[in-house]
Amino acid sequence: MNSLSVYLIIAAALFSLGLFGVLMRRNLIGMLISIELMLNGANLNFMAFNRFLAPEPAVGQIVALFVMGIAAAEAAIGLSLILALFRRLRSINIERAQRLRG
Amino acid sequence: MMWLPHDSVLTAALTCATLPFLSMAVILIFTRAYPRVSCAISVSAITVCLGSTLYLLLTLRHAPEAVEYQWAWIISGDMVIPFGFLLDRLSLLMLTIVAVISFLVQVYSIGYMHGDPGFSRYYAFQSLFAWAMMTMVIAPGMLQLYIFWELVGLASYLLIGYYYEKWSASQAGKKAFVMTRLGDIGFFLGIITVLLGFGDLGIQHMNAAAQAGDIHPWVVTLGALLIFCGVVGKSAQFPLLTWLPDAMEGPTPVSALLHSATMVAAGVYLMSRIFPFFAASPDAMAVALIIGTITMLLASTMAMVTYDIKQVWAYSTVSQLGFMVMSLAAGGYFAGVFHLTTHAGFKALLFLCSGIFIHEYHTNDMREIGQGGGRKLTIPMICMTVGALALAGIFPFSGFFSKEAILGVLAGYPNKIYLGAGLLGALMTAYYSFRLIFFILFPRPSAEGAPHHEDHHSGGHHGHVFWTMAWPCMILATITLGLGFFQNELQGYLLGHGAVAHGHEAPEHGGHGLGHYLLLITAVSLAVGGVFFAYLEFGWKKASQKGFLSKFPAVEALFANRWYMDHFYRKALDLLVYCGFTNIFTRNDRRVIDGGIDGICRFTVGGGRAVSFLQSGMLQYNLVLMVAAIGVLVLVFAL
Repeated sequence: MNSLSVYLIIAAALFSLGLFGVLMRRNLIGMLISIELMLNGANLNFMAFNRFLAPEPAVGQIVALFVMGIAAAEAAIGLSLILALFRRLRSINIERAQRLRG
Repeated sequence: MMWLPHDSVLTAALTCATLPFLSMAVILIFTRAYPRVSCAISVSAITVCLGSTLYLLLTLRHAPEAVEYQWAWIISGDMVIPFGFLLDRLSLLMLTIVAVISFLVQVYSIGYMHGDPGFSRYYAFQSLFAWAMMTMVIAPGMLQLYIFWELVGLASYLLIGYYYEKWSASQAGKKAFVMTRLGDIGFFLGIITVLLGFGDLGIQHMNAAAQAGDIHPWVVTLGALLIFCGVVGKSAQFPLLTWLPDAMEGPTPVSALLHSATMVAAGVYLMSRIFPFFAASPDAMAVALIIGTITMLLASTMAMVTYDIKQVWAYSTVSQLGFMVMSLAAGGYFAGVFHLTTHAGFKALLFLCSGIFIHEYHTNDMREIGQGGGRKLTIPMICMTVGALALAGIFPFSGFFSKEAILGVLAGYPNKIYLGAGLLGALMTAYYSFRLIFFILFPRPSAEGAPHHEDHHSGGHHGHVFWTMAWPCMILATITLGLGFFQNELQGYLLGHGAVAHGHEAPEHGGHGLGHYLLLITAVSLAVGGVFFAYLEFGWKKASQKGFLSKFPAVEALFANRWYMDHFYRKALDLLVYCGFTNIFTRNDRRVIDGGIDGICRFTVGGGRAVSFLQSGMLQYNLVLMVAAIGVLVLVFAL
């Protein structure tokens, strides 16, 4: 249970689940959560490579921290966009957002 | 051009090969509006050609071997196809025939075509015809021969369809063009066969190699048979013979030219041109012999029932061409060429005389000409009788000698059926040619009479026009009378000292025994019998002027309808083309061509839909595409 490939497989599964969510959900909040999932899959990859391969153990963790920071920022911006959209359209279904033109 | 003055032979050959073309070009481009000028240009061009031809003949008469001029024309790798002139005994003889007949026909046409609105056009085409034929005759290679062969076909198409505003004439021109083209396809394939199998199209090389056995026998047989297709088409042999009678729609001088020296003679000329090549393949010779025999007999039967004066001669040409092919195919090189020569003379004579009658009485029906007083036109009547005597093979006219030579060859052929067919043909020839003569000589008064013919006739008899037409006839009649006595000279000239001599001439040399005289007597008595029979039926005072064939209406209808060959072709065409090919082509059109275009349209529309789907503003669709693209990239780089 302690090999690199296991982590990589789990990370890929997480990423794929996130991708699936992004593509299939119509709810913007759901899509945002799915993106978090993809980011976490990427994070897991960083940590796994860091743990098993990297000569300098701290780099992967730093990158992972950055990703978390960016994810938080993205969530804040995304949520505010969603709020703006909701105010305008009374819905957070993404198909409604097609109406945005010009 | 600096070598021109040094070589008079070459100059003369070049003259023949260019001057008529120049005359045609000048007439078509500059002098179309001036009929007299056009006529003068064309006639003087052919006169100069005649002079050069005679010069060539006299200069090269004793030449030990063929004179050949060649320039490289098509060069591809090791293969060189030359363009040039081959002046040997055969081509010189044929060149002379063409020049003499063309010259006489063109002079005659001054009278016959007098006042015709297309006078210049007529002479332009005549020049084209003479040019194509003369250059074909002296071609040293098969490809050059083929090119001018096709030009001869074009010229005949133009001249047969000369009265293009007449529906039947334009149809006849088309028919002649298409039917001869059918044979030419075979001819061309034959040339390709020889090129692939032997690699050289020079006529002399082909002949020599085939005689020496340097070409694979299969190539020779296949090549000879395919080339014979061209002969079949051009010389109107069975089964492509129905275009020739229809070709009578052209002006009569054209028919004379067509039937004696140019178009249909080209086929027989081609066969004698590559005679050693043919002779190297016994199978091809056997096929040609059968075809020639069938043609000869079929055409003779057709000539026995028609009332159109020109069609009688047309059928007789077909049957005489059949004789020539028979002779060549039975190995009688000289007899075939000799008959070609004599036939050119007397057939041109017959046509030109008929032309005078037609010009005078404005009808092609021999009964109407007789009733109109055709016998009063003394000169053409005598000339035509001379021609008919020659055609029937009566001594001492030229046809007698050449037909005798052919029958001699056939008698020497192992299978005697062909001799029997030849004798039967000789009998029929005498019968049908004198049937025509007696119709005109001994007319029966018709119910309505024909006074208007009398008026017209007395008006133009001794005019300038009449004599322009009469004297070529008289010259030809003299030739017809005298040519036969030059048989030995011609034979000596043509066979030369080993130039074309080979074993195939044996029957002609060795046939002077008792059997020969027996054959001679049989043939002559058959010919005289045919004439006498015709006299009994058409000439005699109490004769009914109804042929014995009218007692058998079914047979008569069969002959008159050309053995229903045209009907058969029509049916075959309907079946094969209208139901067969066109069906396939329609399907091809609907399914493949239309279907293909429809498919492309459908693809475009579908593609547009697919792209517009991405432009819907749906974020997720774009994402799907992105992921798919990445997937493809991963696959490409990972694998």
